[in-house]
Amino acid sequence: MYEKHGAALAAYARSCGLDHASAEDVVHQLFLKMLGEKAFVPQLPLAYLYRATRNASLNLRTGRKRETDLQAAEPWFAHPNGNQDEVLNLQQALRELPEEQRETVFLKVWSGMTLLEISEVTETPLNTVASRYRYALEKLRDRLGKYFQKRG
Amino acid sequence: MGPYDEEMKRYLQEFRPQEIRELKIAAQPRNILWRRMAAAAAVAVCAGGLFWFARRESTRSKEAANIQAPKVAVTHQPEHRTILALTTLALADNERFEAFLAEESQKSLPRFQGERSALKVLAKD
Repeated sequence: MYEKHGAALAAYARSCGLDHASAEDVVHQLFLKMLGEKAFVPQLPLAYLYRATRNASLNLRTGRKRETDLQAAEPWFAHPNGNQDEVLNLQQALRELPEEQRETVFLKVWSGMTLLEISEVTETPLNTVASRYRYALEKLRDRLGKYFQKRG
Repeated sequence: MGPYDEEMKRYLQEFRPQEIRELKIAAQPRNILWRRMAAAAAVAVCAGGLFWFARRESTRSKEAANIQAPKVAVTHQPEHRTILALTTLALADNERFEAFLAEESQKSLPRFQGERSALKVLAKD
């Protein structure tokens, strides 16, 4: 699970405003906590991990607001063509999304869940999840249109 | 989801989240357990040492009190003056010298008063 979702969770933590090292620490601590607490086995560990990552990231970020601007220039995604400008634009677009929409995009795109699964793990109606995803894609398309159109 | 959304999703999936370092889970709990055990052992040793030291000190002080008691008795014994001191006393103050002799003779010589005195025994004979 760590190998499959660890990197996406770290990217999600970075979208919440953490630097790379802090995002790694948050993800590590969450996995260790989940493995260490034998009594606590969440039924939906991936949803738990995303929620816990978000909470831990926001708590950690509270005292570090000044660093957020500096982190905007650091890449937390890699693109095969190596276009740094495209990566930074995607990151900025993800940051600007409302929290629920961003979470839905991460779960769907980088954790490979279906909308139905997302609906179950987030305990949100399927229609709401679908709307969040659609709105999020629209915003991302608007923001990344120039790159997306070139590619298409 | 329309085909346009699927295309956008595939486009987004081209971006790969940056790799993060490996998770080392095996050593961590054991390490913590050993640290806790070591800390508990250290505390136990310290507590034992303190207890032993406190008991040792109290025993020592009791022993010291027992040993010091005879010393106190010794100090109350009459002081023995040297020949030089007695000679000096005799030359300087004869009366005090005589008094000293009288006092010492009462302590060291047998008493002549009382029922079992040497004088009475001789008188009976």
